[in-house]
Parts: sequence; structure tokens; C-alpha cells
Amino acid sequence: MTKRRPISRPPLFIYIGAMFGVVYICLPLVSLLRNISWGSLLSQLTDGPTLSALRLSLVTSVAATVLALILGLPLAWVLARVPFRGNYLVRAFVMLPMVLPPVVGGVALLAAYGKSNGLLGALLFDSFGVQLTFSPIGVVIAEAFVALPFLVMAVEGGLRAIDSRYEELASTMGANEAKKFYLVTLRLLRPSLVAGIAVAWARALGEFGATITFAGNIQGRTQTTPLAVYLLLESDPQAAYSLSFVLLVVCVLVLISMRDRWLGSKR
Amino acid sequence: MQFRRPLVALAVSVSVIASLAGVGQGEAAYQLGAPEKVLQGTITVSAASSLSGSFVEIAKAFRKENPKVKVRFNFGSSSSLVAQIQAGAPSDVIATADLSNIEKLVKSGEVAGAIYLKMFARNQMAIAVKPGNPLKIKTVGDLKNVKFLSLCGSTVPCGQYAATVLKLARLNINESKITRAVDAKSALNAVSIGDADAAVVYLTDVLSAKKSVSLVKIPKALNVDAIYSVALLRTSNNRETAVAFIDYLLSVKGQELLQSFGFIKI
Repeated sequence: MTKRRPISRPPLFIYIGAMFGVVYICLPLVSLLRNISWGSLLSQLTDGPTLSALRLSLVTSVAATVLALILGLPLAWVLARVPFRGNYLVRAFVMLPMVLPPVVGGVALLAAYGKSNGLLGALLFDSFGVQLTFSPIGVVIAEAFVALPFLVMAVEGGLRAIDSRYEELASTMGANEAKKFYLVTLRLLRPSLVAGIAVAWARALGEFGATITFAGNIQGRTQTTPLAVYLLLESDPQAAYSLSFVLLVVCVLVLISMRDRWLGSKR
Repeated sequence: MQFRRPLVALAVSVSVIASLAGVGQGEAAYQLGAPEKVLQGTITVSAASSLSGSFVEIAKAFRKENPKVKVRFNFGSSSSLVAQIQAGAPSDVIATADLSNIEKLVKSGEVAGAIYLKMFARNQMAIAVKPGNPLKIKTVGDLKNVKFLSLCGSTVPCGQYAATVLKLARLNINESKITRAVDAKSALNAVSIGDADAAVVYLTDVLSAKKSVSLVKIPKALNVDAIYSVALLRTSNNRETAVAFIDYLLSVKGQELLQSFGFIKI
């Protein structure tokens, strides 16, 4: 590594702006801590419906991340490496769930995979009796739908940053495609792959709108932690704060553990 | 009460006293109280989501008579509206699908005064099913045959009313068959665009959903009497317009509009 050139210090107003930015994000999150009754935190989290929501969230968000990875890795690869007409159009559509209101995403999922009116869902139900809505699999589908773009974005960025000469070198040394992929590309890609997985997982964990619209809100079946938080805010605010705290801690840990991997440029 | 101009104070108190006299008198009193006073400014009305259709129409009619007034709406479940207002969300008027949620605001001192608290309409519960009623649901008891039933959260009024209806029919449905929506409109949406087989929601919502669902009525003996109430909020900074809106709700025209959406006279 070469020594970095000293960078000129930014002007004062940049510091002030940055400080306000930090306060803007952190103040509400830190304020949330005031509402938590620490003494009863554990008993609230191990309460029947709360515990089942946490368990369901863990299982579905992991499954959604795996699904996003299976679909997202090849997609990112094509977007980064294959120059084809309409490349930018495909990317725009794939990124859409990132900016779309999640409820709209849920309605779109219903239109595709719903049992009664879904393009594919009606066929699935009529031929195999499979109903995706109101099932944990429906939760996974909704979560993966919103998480996928985050994975694609991170991995595509990582692939673009890889110096292709390493891969060419591997080829000239006689490595076949599979070996080249495993020994060279995947290793160089690892930081951005980890970052993509982490962010996609955190997004899946926090999903609300698409889930409640597509998979419903059935206690113990499709009621994930964010859904439970929303309902508990009215019946038992203390429990809602405790659950929010868990989500917050998990997400902070994920983001801190990634450190500078998010941009995929650490080489 | 503190008003800058005595005329305004007079207009407000006259209309308030008149509205105390009962439904149907409000409009006359409002004209009597401020014959040449032009109402203006914006008011924010926080209203139960089951009022969204009717209130939009009422606001249109209200604005026709008061062109300088703007009415902004904040629709949500009654209990979430109460929570928002208690947390300091600025609002001039609140209209809930029950009495107990407004009582919470009275207790926490958020309502401008008990005389500003009015009951203005009644509603009932009904069953919404898929168009054509494929599961042939005729009574509340038939709901035991559905695979997935859509209800509001158990702490919001429409969820509590639905629980009462099921209880009156001695029907005990396992929570694993119940999907909980965030408010009355989305509980109905789970049937109209989603895969829920039935929903127990407000009659007015089922009526306004038109062809996207079919209606199954619930007989009076097994039904509830949902009483809608409205109040002026203490933090309102446009009290005369806010009170005029409440009066309009109670006026003949306001009541007619509410009834055209299926609400029942108080």
C-alpha cells in the first residue's frame, strides 16, 4: 500500500453540517432508549407472541437473504460484466423495490402470486393447491423482493471494482471457468458480497409494508417483529419499545461489523 | 377561552350553544352566529379511516360554502390518532369511531372542553366476502368455515367491535386463522385485493367497496352500535373554522351526506 497524500482539511461549515447530520439520525434512536423499561426487558421479549415474532423474523429474513443471493449474484454479474442493449433498463427495474413504497410492492406481489387474482398464484393454487399468501413462505417472498436490490447494488459495485487482469492471468495459467470463479473472482468479491448480504438481511429483517400486504399479519405464522411492533404500540407500548430495541441493536451490529466494506472498494 | 375580537367570541359561543341543542340545528345557528364573517385558514381533521370517503365529500360541501377554508385530513385508526395527538401532532378536530378513544383525550386534557365533544353518527358491522360469496357465508356462525379471516387489530375500535360480534354469535376463531390489518380500510382490502376469505368490518366500508366484495349483513341482535364522536382540540389555532366544521357535520346537509354513505342518525 502506498502512503496516502495528506488531504486538505474541509472548511468549517462542512464540519457543522456533518454534526447536524449525525444528530438528526442519532437523536431519535437514542431517545428511544429512554422509553425502555430495562428491568422487564427480558420478560417482555420472551413473552409468547413476542418470542414467536422474533423467531419468525430470524428464520424468514435468513431465508429471504439466501433467496436474494441465489437470484442476485447472477443478476449482478450480468449487469456488471455483460454489455447489452437495455442494460440500464434492466437495472432500473431491478432497483425499483428500493424506492417503491413497500405497500405498492405488496400489492404487486398479490397481483403476481396471490391465490385468487394472481397471474402465477392462481395457477399454482389451481394445479398444486399451493397458497403463498398468509404463509411464512409468503413472508420470505415479500422480504426478498425488497432486499434483492440492495444485494445486487453491492455485488455489482464490487464486480466492477475487481481488476479483470487477475482473472485473465488465471486463465492464461490454465484455470478453467469454475476454478477461476472460485479461486479468483469470488475471493476478490468477498468484501462486497459480505456487505451485500448484510445489508440485504437487515432490510429483510425490517420489512413491514410488503409483508403485511402480501403475507398478512397472523400471529405465530406471518407476524414478523416489525408487524408485532406496530400492533403492540397500541396495546403494550413497553413491549413495542423492547422489540424495537432488539431490531435496532441487531442492525447497528450488522452495520458496524461491515465497516468500510459497504462500498466494496477495500482492496 | 381567549379570542382577540368580541365578534368572533360571540359567533363561536352562539354556534356552540346552538350545536348543544342538537342535530340539525347546527347549520342554522352557524348562519345566525356569523352572517357576514368569512371563515378562512386551514384546519387539520384527524379522522377514523372508516370516515375517509364521507369526510372527503363533507369537506367538499363545506368548502363550497366557505371557499377560503382549506381542510386537511389525517386518516388512521382511532387509537393511533389519539396516540399521535397525545404525542403532540398538530390537529384541530378529531373524529373517532367510538367514544372511549375521545375520552382518553378528554382525560389527558387534549380536548378543548366537554361542550365541544359531540356524537355525530352511528355505524354497524358487516361481513365482506369475495364477490359472489363462493363460500356461501350467510351468518356470522358460517365464518367458522373460512380459511383466513381479516380483522382490525384487537385494540382499535373496529377490531373491538368485530370481537364483540364474534362473541355475540358464540364463535371462537383461532388466532392462527386471523390476519390483523392496520385499520378498517386495509382489513377490507385483504378481501378485495388479497386472499382473505372474509372480513368483519364497518357496514359503510363494505358499501363503499362496491363490486370488489359482496356484503353479508349481520342482524341487529348480533350487531354492535358503533357511535362516532367528534371533538375540538385544545391546540387548535383556528377554532372558529374548526367549530364551523363540527357544526357542519351535525347540520342537515352534513347528516344527509353521512347517511348517503350508510351511516345511521345518532
